[in-house]
Order: sequence, then structure tokens, then C-alpha cells
Amino acid sequence: MLLEFELNGRQTRVEAEPTQRTLDLLRDVLGLTGTKEGCGRGECGACTILLDGKPVNSCLLYAAKLQGRRVTTIEGLAAADSAADSASGRGAEGNPPALHPLQEAFLSEGAVQCGFCTPGMILSAKSLLDQNPDPDVREIEEALSGNLCRCTGYGKIVKAVQKAAAAAQAAAAQTAELGPGRRAASEKSGNGAAVRSTKAKSAGNAKSDRRQRGASR
Amino acid sequence: MTAVQYLRAENLAQALAQAAAAAGERMKFLAGGTDLCVQIAEGALDPTLLIDISAAEELRRIEHGAEGLRIGAALPIADLLEAARAAAAGKRTESAGIPRCLLQGAAAIGSPQIRQLGTIGGNVCNASPCGDTLAPLIVLAAGFTLSSARGSRVVPAEEFFLGPKATVLEPGEILESILIPASHLSGRSAFRMIGKRNGQAISQVNVAVWVKLEQSGGTVSGGGSAAGGAPGAAEGTPAAGNSIEDIRIAAGSVAPIPLRLGRAEERLRGSVPDEAALQAAAKAVQEEIRPISDVRTSRAYRRGVAASLFMDVMAEVLEREGG
Repeated sequence: MLLEFELNGRQTRVEAEPTQRTLDLLRDVLGLTGTKEGCGRGECGACTILLDGKPVNSCLLYAAKLQGRRVTTIEGLAAADSAADSASGRGAEGNPPALHPLQEAFLSEGAVQCGFCTPGMILSAKSLLDQNPDPDVREIEEALSGNLCRCTGYGKIVKAVQKAAAAAQAAAAQTAELGPGRRAASEKSGNGAAVRSTKAKSAGNAKSDRRQRGASR
Repeated sequence: MTAVQYLRAENLAQALAQAAAAAGERMKFLAGGTDLCVQIAEGALDPTLLIDISAAEELRRIEHGAEGLRIGAALPIADLLEAARAAAAGKRTESAGIPRCLLQGAAAIGSPQIRQLGTIGGNVCNASPCGDTLAPLIVLAAGFTLSSARGSRVVPAEEFFLGPKATVLEPGEILESILIPASHLSGRSAFRMIGKRNGQAISQVNVAVWVKLEQSGGTVSGGGSAAGGAPGAAEGTPAAGNSIEDIRIAAGSVAPIPLRLGRAEERLRGSVPDEAALQAAAKAVQEEIRPISDVRTSRAYRRGVAASLFMDVMAEVLEREGG
């Protein structure tokens, strides 16, 4: 059947078997291998994607159910904040786009070890922060309870989500501090441009942390 | 898998017509798919036709009426919980009054991802003895409306289940909606489950209870729902000294079907629930259940913990300390 849905901000048309798993459609047909297969039966959360902004297991989701829906994979996160080829996750000039604040926080907090659970963890966390910008630890743990990590013991992952939430709150506060005139002017340049510029700033700091760690390796 | 035919139903009438036209097919209705996909992938089920009902709006509603609270079978578990949260926050009053035990059972299902796709009707029709909404629906005296091209019938929750994965549903028949009667929307209810961990765990045992309390001045009001506060918040007035006018108790994962525990109910109906009465009822719970040892836990553990969970749910509905 011909499927039409929004994938990482782009209208996508693809021919698929109705009962093909969304996981396989993403990885094998659309080449988006950031979505991982762990258990293949809805228990580990490695294959988590966002469907209309809410986390679901793509191993349990038949492709036919994507018709007319909005899908976000890990490739769509960094691209969401840049003028990039968002479906493939590549930047406009072939450069990797700026990472999402959650991705930066996972890096700077060392919340990634083998990395297999990370895409699903980050997407579950994104859905949480989109609905609840200032979650407490219990709320973070609840939101991530469908994502298993066998490396980290979860402590650093929870810290990373807290850090990303704090960064977003600080960015929002900074935006609010701009005068109404300046805010209107910056918003004219594009959807969410004011937020984006402050996000880029915090991401930049995290990036220099990462460069330092990389140099000391 | 590629041989399976897939149809999407836009509404109930279309789903029933598609099912009626599917004679000779091994047909399954597909809602969230969180159990069905796994059963198909593992070869436990081998349908030739799937009719996807998840897009049918009329099967995803929550409606209050004079008869009670009607919940569409294809309502995702997450939407049920969200409706209660919104009602608690004063946002959507039509969703108020979802009984507490049902919300506690719904919140115990799977993970956030599973609750997003999985539906209340799917939890029911999957008919796993450990399904976390089943004991709540039995104690709430829920009626299941089953429909086919031939017409509709209503089956009480406690008569719906025949065994693991087996129900009274006939070929081509669909669970359309679940009605919790107005009589059981008042009163107090509670649910507890125990599993190996809090997230993403399947119940080793679960217990639900609904009670209607009586004081000398009349029936105690204002319990059992999330209308006045967040799920899990205290509701009504302390009730430990009141007698029990009516009570329903059910448990899951303790028999081939979710089991109503009539003998334990009889111990408490019409009595003042003091410690001795509760202990006697807990003993009746242990005698009435028929647990087995399986991959999840042992028969002896289930028997022991069922009594503890029963004391916990009674403590919650009676608002007693400890349990």
C-alpha cells in the first residue's frame, strides 16, 4: 500500500506491506538506522519512535498505522533545529546539524555507554519534556520506564534529562528577558528563531566540553 | 506475514461489515496491536485478515450518561489516564468520575510506549489472566457490549472470560464498549499488583476491590472516583468505623481467568470491617484462589501475596493506616 506520513518534518510517500513493522520500514527501506531493534516484542524500548509526539514501540507498530501520522525518529531531533535535510538527518551542506539539547546533555553527562538504548531513551525524554518542561526525578523515571539500559544504571541518564530540562528552562527565561520589540524582530526571521539561538548557545558550551574530552582521550 | 490481508475500518459499522464479509478467513480485529503483533510474530496466531479498528472515533470515546460511564473499546490506555488527569485538573469535566481502581490498573499496564498504543478493549479481549484492567472491571460490575453484523448483546465482565486467551466472543463479534453502571461509580475502589519491578512488569498477582459503605446516618458518599483530585489522592472521609453495605473483590493471575472472590465478599458484606473480619476475609481469599506455579512466580508466593494485596486494597478503601 502507498503510505503517506510526515517523517521528521517532511512529507514522505513510500510503498510498504501494511503489516511490515515500522521498525523495518524505517531501517531497511528508508535507511534510518538510528532506531534500534532490541527485543522485538515491546519490552526494551530500543525501537522507540514518536508517533504524533508520543513514544511508541516501532517493533509493535504495523506500517499501515503510519498513514497520515507524524513520525519522529532520532535522526529528526538534531535536524529539527537546523535548516537541514531532516529526513536523512544530514545538514544542509553535508555537515552534521547541531545536536538537540537532550543529545548534548547525554554526551556531557556520560549517559551513553554502548549507546544501543540511547535513541529510544532520548525520544522518550523528548516526549516527556515537550509535555512537562520541569519534571521531577520520579516523573523522569516513569517516563523512561519503558526503556531498558543494561550499561549505565540509569543515574546518568536521569541526570542528563534534568540537565536538558534546566537548559531549556534557562533558554526560555532568556527569551522572555528580551524586550518585546527584539523578540518580535527575532521571531520574524523564522519559526522559533529566538529559542533556537539560545539553544544553540547552550549546545555550543556542551560541544566544547565534548571536544575537550575528545582531546584527552 | 506478508500474506495477511489488512483492512482499516473508519467506523464500527464498516468494521462489522468487513468482518461479516470475511467468512472463511482467520480474522482478527486489530486495535493497538501490542499483544497481537507479538503473538503473530511468534506464530501463536496466524490470521489471514486483520481489521484495524484503531481509527474508529466512535470506539475511542468516554461518555457519561444516566446509565453510567461508557468507555469505547479502542480507547488507548494512555488516553484513559490522560482523561482522568485532565478531569482532576478541572480541564475536561466529561471525563471525571473514572473509578480509582480502573485508573490504578491502567497505570500498571506495560510501559508508557505500550500504554500509548494498547487499548482497554485490547487488554480485555487479550484475556490474559494477569491483565491489569480485568479485576477492576469485574469489581465495578462492568458490562461489555459485544456487537456483530447480527446485532448486539451485553455480557457481564465476570462472565466474559473462559480461560487464558479465551472469551465468549463469537467469530465476527467485537467488543464495542465497556459500561460501568452508575450504581458502581459511587463507592470506593482500589487496585494493587505486584510484579518483579515497577516499570514494564507483568502482574504476578493483582487484586481489586469495590465497596459501598454505610453509616448509621446513611451511605458514605463521594468515593471511588478521580473527579475531586489526582489519581491516588485521598478522597472522602475516613470510613474505618462504617459497615460494608456491599462489596466486590476480584483477583488476577490466580486462576485461568480473572476471578471474582464471592466467599471473601460474603465474609464482609453487611459487617463492620474490623481487624478480625478482614483477617477472616483474607483467609477466604487464599482459599478461593487457584494459583499455579509458572515462569513468573510460584503457587505458594501467589497465595501468600494475594492476602497481603487484599489487606492493602482494603486499607486503601477504608483509609486505615498500614494493612
